Amino acid sequence: MKIVNDLNLKKQAEELGVSVWRTPSFLSIVLGAISILSMNGVYHAAKFIGDNPRLIIISEIVVVLIVLAIGKLTINQMEEMAKLNKMKSEFISVASHQLRTPLSAIRWQTEIMLDKLSDGLDEKQKEKITNIDSLTARMTRLVNDLLDVARIDQGRFKLKIKEVEINTVIKKILNEVAIPLGEKKGVGVSFDGNCDLTVMADEEKIDLVFENLLSNSIKYTLEGGKVSINCSLKDGMALFEVKDTGVGIPETQQDQIFAKFFRSSNVVRYQTEGTGLGLYIAKSVVEQLNGKMWFESKENVGTTFSFTLPLKK
Amino acid sequence: MRSITRKNMGKKILIIEDEETLNKSIADFVVAEKFEVINSLDGESGLEMARKELPDLILLDIVLPKKDGYEVLDELKKDEKTKDIPVILLTNLESQEDIVKAFEKGATTYLVKSDYKLQDVVKKIKAALGMI
Repeated sequence: MKIVNDLNLKKQAEELGVSVWRTPSFLSIVLGAISILSMNGVYHAAKFIGDNPRLIIISEIVVVLIVLAIGKLTINQMEEMAKLNKMKSEFISVASHQLRTPLSAIRWQTEIMLDKLSDGLDEKQKEKITNIDSLTARMTRLVNDLLDVARIDQGRFKLKIKEVEINTVIKKILNEVAIPLGEKKGVGVSFDGNCDLTVMADEEKIDLVFENLLSNSIKYTLEGGKVSINCSLKDGMALFEVKDTGVGIPETQQDQIFAKFFRSSNVVRYQTEGTGLGLYIAKSVVEQLNGKMWFESKENVGTTFSFTLPLKK
Repeated sequence: MRSITRKNMGKKILIIEDEETLNKSIADFVVAEKFEVINSLDGESGLEMARKELPDLILLDIVLPKKDGYEVLDELKKDEKTKDIPVILLTNLESQEDIVKAFEKGATTYLVKSDYKLQDVVKKIKAALGMI
């Protein structure tokens, strides 16, 4: 059987293999039926031919050839799908780059209006322009997420691994993102400040992981709820937990939570904004840094996302 | 604040950006900050303008008609008259390869357009000119 050596192709094939397993394609069903029928045929033939060694060898060769043909067809099908997936990622990458230029132009025009030409605007006009500004910022974030996903799928998500002091990273994300977002939403964000760990990671990407997890937790926690960050050591790795008292993930949908574009049914009710890419990106980043990510969740009680990263040697 | 404004006067910025709306947006903002601005919509005329006008700083896009940003940067750094002019690359390309290539060729700063507000671009201009 052909070995898929290209790591990227292999990753995509594995990813596609999972979806094929969940939803068998027409071709897989036909191939499965052929193999069952051929096994059945060989069994009956064996009974008929009795102890004739020559006929037994021939029938065994027929079975081996059928199995090889099925294997070849399946690999071809997987390669074809991997190729299509690659083309899709390249399309996303090009389209996202093209989208960024007009988005930058819109953002800069609104900035000029609000910053340099605001004297001529009344409050209503300022409010409308501010809305355009924040919606454009949201669209830019979406395009950036799509670009990250395309890079991950193409195996082009480059990491600059160095020593990273986690206390500094968490404090920065808390001050710049989590605390302002929590205040706006009425959700308490806490961190005991005791995370004196140095890990081997890409600082920018770790920022992204904490930002994605914290902003998700705050978004999906109702007013008056709490979000906390903890860190500790586990099996020689640094362990981080982002815990919330939010809406939780329905048990029936928990196996899909890290899939691209997936958003659970209950969070869509609470928050319409969201791409379903944040957790996919966060998990991919952590795994590329040789860590693991998992979660525990109970609907209407809360969720804890945990991940590990290698410590500085 | 006033002293900064006075200081900005007379500093000439060359903007080489093919997207007219973006070029004009940057120019409007930078002029409002009391800088003098000259601009070009392609790499070839931008390079000519740099040699002729000798600006204090150049804002340079990478994907440009006629000559791309890297070619412009190469020629600026080869020319005795222009080699010391700080060049800020302002682009929507953000791959690691592009960033490394830009710094190897002598860029002073590398900014991804969609990540920066114009006021941050102005801060970077002032920093590159040693004004803050």
